[in-house]
Amino acid sequence: MIKQQIVPIVLTIVSVVIIYLALQLDLSPPMIVGDSMQPRAFPIFLMALNLLLTAILAYQIFKTPPKKPEPMNRVTWLSMVLMVLFYGLTVSTDMFIAIAVVMFLLSLAWGERRLLIAAANAVLTPFLIFLLFDNVLRIRFPRGILMNWYYG
Amino acid sequence: MYEALSALGSVVLDPYLLFLIFATTIIGIVIGVLPGLGATTGAALLLPFTLTMDPVHAIAVLATIYVSATFAGSITAILINTPGTSAAAATTFDGFPLAQRGEAGRALGIAVIASTFGGIVSVIVLCFAAPLLARVAYEFRPPEYFALTIFGLSMLASISSGGAVKNLIGGVFGVWLSTIGAERVTAIERFMFGNYELYEGLSFVPVMIGLFAMSELLVQSKMANQAVEYIKMKAVQLPSREDYKKIWKTVLRSSGIGTFIGILPAEGATVASMIGYSEAKRWSKNKEEFGKGSIEGIAGAESANNAATGGAMVPTMVLGIPGSGTTAIILVGLMVHGLRPGPYLFNEQVTAVYQIFGSMFVANVMFLLMGLYAAKIFARISLVPAAILWPIVFALSVIGAYALNSSMLDIWIVLIFGVIGFLARRFGFAVAPIAVGLILGKMVEVNLQNSLKIFNGEWWQIFTQPLAVLFLVLAFLGLCGPQLFRLATRGSFEAKDGKSD
Repeated sequence: MIKQQIVPIVLTIVSVVIIYLALQLDLSPPMIVGDSMQPRAFPIFLMALNLLLTAILAYQIFKTPPKKPEPMNRVTWLSMVLMVLFYGLTVSTDMFIAIAVVMFLLSLAWGERRLLIAAANAVLTPFLIFLLFDNVLRIRFPRGILMNWYYG
Repeated sequence: MYEALSALGSVVLDPYLLFLIFATTIIGIVIGVLPGLGATTGAALLLPFTLTMDPVHAIAVLATIYVSATFAGSITAILINTPGTSAAAATTFDGFPLAQRGEAGRALGIAVIASTFGGIVSVIVLCFAAPLLARVAYEFRPPEYFALTIFGLSMLASISSGGAVKNLIGGVFGVWLSTIGAERVTAIERFMFGNYELYEGLSFVPVMIGLFAMSELLVQSKMANQAVEYIKMKAVQLPSREDYKKIWKTVLRSSGIGTFIGILPAEGATVASMIGYSEAKRWSKNKEEFGKGSIEGIAGAESANNAATGGAMVPTMVLGIPGSGTTAIILVGLMVHGLRPGPYLFNEQVTAVYQIFGSMFVANVMFLLMGLYAAKIFARISLVPAAILWPIVFALSVIGAYALNSSMLDIWIVLIFGVIGFLARRFGFAVAPIAVGLILGKMVEVNLQNSLKIFNGEWWQIFTQPLAVLFLVLAFLGLCGPQLFRLATRGSFEAKDGKSD
């Protein structure tokens, strides 16, 4: 029963937390707000509406339980873990190193067995995108091992 | 009309713009044939590449992606029974069975002609309807705009898969996301958690890339090693005279249906193609052929989905209310490039508007030529292994998101919204309502605030404005109409049952 209602439960918790956070917002002096509304009013109204909709959703699930979603497969989990790895590598080394490593591992996780193809894709794609953004769009990328070397 | 024709002329005479449309049509078709990468994801990924372009060129690129990817979904729908875009789902019903009978070239020929006709009809309607609607919308004040955005949000209930309630929850969540940042009047910081990069609110582009591209990557990961049945064909065949005789009424009807559905706020090509298909079946003399390779079925679905592209641009450009997920990105593109969507656009940038419409017209002609002569080559692209394709999407997503504001935060937003979008879809929520809610959110709050000021804080005065009431009634009917209709018909059925008893 609780498993079936997991989505409404999560939505309720999120809505309540947002209402709590909204209630912590500063009140603006009436002179500024005038006849309009306080900055906290709109988010609170939205979350109250969300709670109402969530109650309807919970009732719908109670009346007609939905099919249980298939368990997430290994590749999906790995893809998510690689996103976390991307964060770690970007912060500690360089964004383009992170992209190349994650692209390579993503290819392998998704079933690519030709290591050379996966490696070529992982190196050439970010390199070509970098060339385009750096030369045509004149974007400066965040500094890291490679960018420090490139920008000097 | 003179302005429209001269703008079309200026598009045709601008070699750089023509080249851009040509190149983007190829990219759009490639995106459309790759299962999982639809027009919306494609537009989200390409938006950062338009940053240094002239506004007209940039929007022309996005609009071209929209029309060409919507068409291209039919290529894989016919050849591998996998719609490249959700809008081509109805094309699989008859396209694939016809291809299995050895008539893949004929099926593609019908799809190309019907799509082009639907697309061109909708652009013509766009040229006429948009300025007329703009003239009406020019008179709108904050109460009318507030009611209109509520109407637009209410239409989210049917924007895509997921139930009405789930779509509305997604929409409300999206509107809440728009409240992040400093409040417009009082500058009080809301939900920023001390991060001053959020002072001006969540940037639309990384949220869109996260919701559409990154979440799609995670969705596709469960189909990483799926094999597909690919039907080979010799060449695309133009429809014969007999075929034209059989489909012309269907194409006309579905083009009208598609354009009209596209114009409705928050309704898009997918709904249009389904209704176009079912109407084609309803009016057909050969209903028994449907589902077994009917050319009317292909024509009905294809002309409707491409007609919806022009229709969906009407509320996007005139009212600032996106008609679909892709037009939500085009709307963001307009804002990023400094064009103010809404009726004022037709006063301030009338030439630019018609050049954008002209570009859509040219894009329809371009994909006709490419569809006829290169569909076979494009179909092979759909066989690119997912293990190569999706890492490229990952790289494009993170670099593209960074490029807009040169902000690392935008990259983290892409990743976070990728996971949020994936989880939402896993539990039956569509992501398009979140995106549309985010875009409309500011409009709702600002117009509500302004309405309250106009009426000295008496909110109920909104109900004294006839047009505002009309939009609110339409919103109510949009939300509760189906339930009321069901209740009413149940009552009549029960009465009939009672009589028979």
